[in-house]
Amino acid sequence: MSPVLVNPVLVSPVLVSPVLVNPVEAPSVYTGGANVIAVLILLAEFGMLRQALIRDQVRLYAVQSGLISVLAVIVGAVRDLPELYLLAALSAALKVVVIPLVLRRLLRGSHPGERGADPGDIAGSGGLGLATTVLVAIAVAAFGFFAAGRLPVAGGGAPATALSVSVSVAGVAFVLMIHRRDVISQAIGLFSLENGISLAALVVAASLPLILEVALLFDLLVAVIVFGLLIRIHRGRAESLSTTELTSLRG
Amino acid sequence: MGVSLSLPIPVIQALQVITVAGAAPGVSGVIAKVEARLQGRRGPRVLQPYYDLAKLLRKESLAPEGASWVFLAAPLAAFACYLTVPLLIPVLTSYPLPLGYMGDILGGGFILALASFLVATAAAETGSPYAQLGASRAKTFGAITEPVVLFVVFTVALLTGTDLPYALAATVRSSAAQIIRPAHLLAAAALLMVILSETARIPVETHTGTNEFGMIEEARPFEHSGPYYALLKWGSAAKQLILYTIFVNVFAAPWGLAASQQVGAVLLAIVALVGKAAALGLIIAVIDNSFAKLRLFKITEYASAAFLLAVLGVFTLYLGGG
Repeated sequence: MSPVLVNPVLVSPVLVSPVLVNPVEAPSVYTGGANVIAVLILLAEFGMLRQALIRDQVRLYAVQSGLISVLAVIVGAVRDLPELYLLAALSAALKVVVIPLVLRRLLRGSHPGERGADPGDIAGSGGLGLATTVLVAIAVAAFGFFAAGRLPVAGGGAPATALSVSVSVAGVAFVLMIHRRDVISQAIGLFSLENGISLAALVVAASLPLILEVALLFDLLVAVIVFGLLIRIHRGRAESLSTTELTSLRG
Repeated sequence: MGVSLSLPIPVIQALQVITVAGAAPGVSGVIAKVEARLQGRRGPRVLQPYYDLAKLLRKESLAPEGASWVFLAAPLAAFACYLTVPLLIPVLTSYPLPLGYMGDILGGGFILALASFLVATAAAETGSPYAQLGASRAKTFGAITEPVVLFVVFTVALLTGTDLPYALAATVRSSAAQIIRPAHLLAAAALLMVILSETARIPVETHTGTNEFGMIEEARPFEHSGPYYALLKWGSAAKQLILYTIFVNVFAAPWGLAASQQVGAVLLAIVALVGKAAALGLIIAVIDNSFAKLRLFKITEYASAAFLLAVLGVFTLYLGGG
């Protein structure tokens, strides 16, 4: 059958035939849904590029981590991998609850009086204009998409498109770390980079031994503590969260 | 009734235009009413836009000194453009009508752009700084949202193999998998953001504001009066309903369209269209009340967000998983 639309008036004067189309084959509902969640994770990463307040950025990180857990539950249910439930619960407890709490606790002291400006406001810490940054990040994401799209990966977990998305998440996290000059964004960029890697793990090796996954999460916890200390020390010395003043090396 | 009282195709075709032109002020009225209620005001009547149009059509009209015939012709021509677009898109029927083949989505976009260009030209004729400022801003920001529209069209074309709006509507109706695929959701979200900006809604512009400094589209008809002003207002309401129709009947909810030429089915489709447009208006009123207007120089950031959604739609499609 030809792919053109059949004009109902020409076909028959009374009966109206439905439109004939040959749509591109849609992925299954599971694949589509999993891909939507993966794309939402990427959009959360882009959202972090735009956030003007530390509070919102931490919240967005929590949302992104929550999406990873949701995806893990879906993959676990469809692919019948019950250990993913445990992983999802652990990762949600750590990345949705504990890490945002720790970050907020760390930042609580950083409020008033520092040069008059609200230190929670990190809007101006970007090296480029916002629209430009987004365009750069789109280019980086495109590279991630197409580079990973060439890989012949057929894992047993989430659909393969999610792998491309995860590489893009990592790329955009790097853009975030590079272009923001405040320590919080750089820390959040590193943590969300880990989210991108979790997403990739869900695709490539969904049934990765649980002990490894837990080790990764523990690693993240250590990173949070180390970063927390660094943020505290930096603030104590420079009285700001910006890294622009770190220009000289001292013993 | 009930047996087989079917309407001839040309009548249905005309009904598309009449529905859009007739219901457009009402949809604007519903949005204004809901918005007022959400803000704790009683708000104008839903039918107020019709009374406004009737009043304006009775008033005399004045043209600024030195304005040429373009100033007076533009509202008429723009209104004619707005009445042409409903012929190209699925307003009432799920099957394509003969004149639907005159143009695809891009064709419809060109006609809408022509109308916007004519209004801007008329505003430039006047010599009034505010009208000219509105015209210049509308063109500037229109150019920024244009790539978004283009990528949405690409997505549609990649999804269906054609860019006739009827084809995408049929694709969306065909299965749940077509709805949940990321490319479709991203394109729909990007289109909604463009519609917000094109219909002069928050976060790009306050729709009923009197603050000239923030005005874009709303500043253009400042110098028109009487019937010409009525046509411009009616035209912008019609443009709003056309964009809502494209969003609802092609992307978001292409159900409730008439599948036959039966009188009952077509009438039901008219009611369904007005209902769906009012429901979308409700959502837009909520958006209007939940966000602040962006500063003028932040609008590029809004456009870049919409562009991001549209581009990601195309990306996911190219990977085969979208």
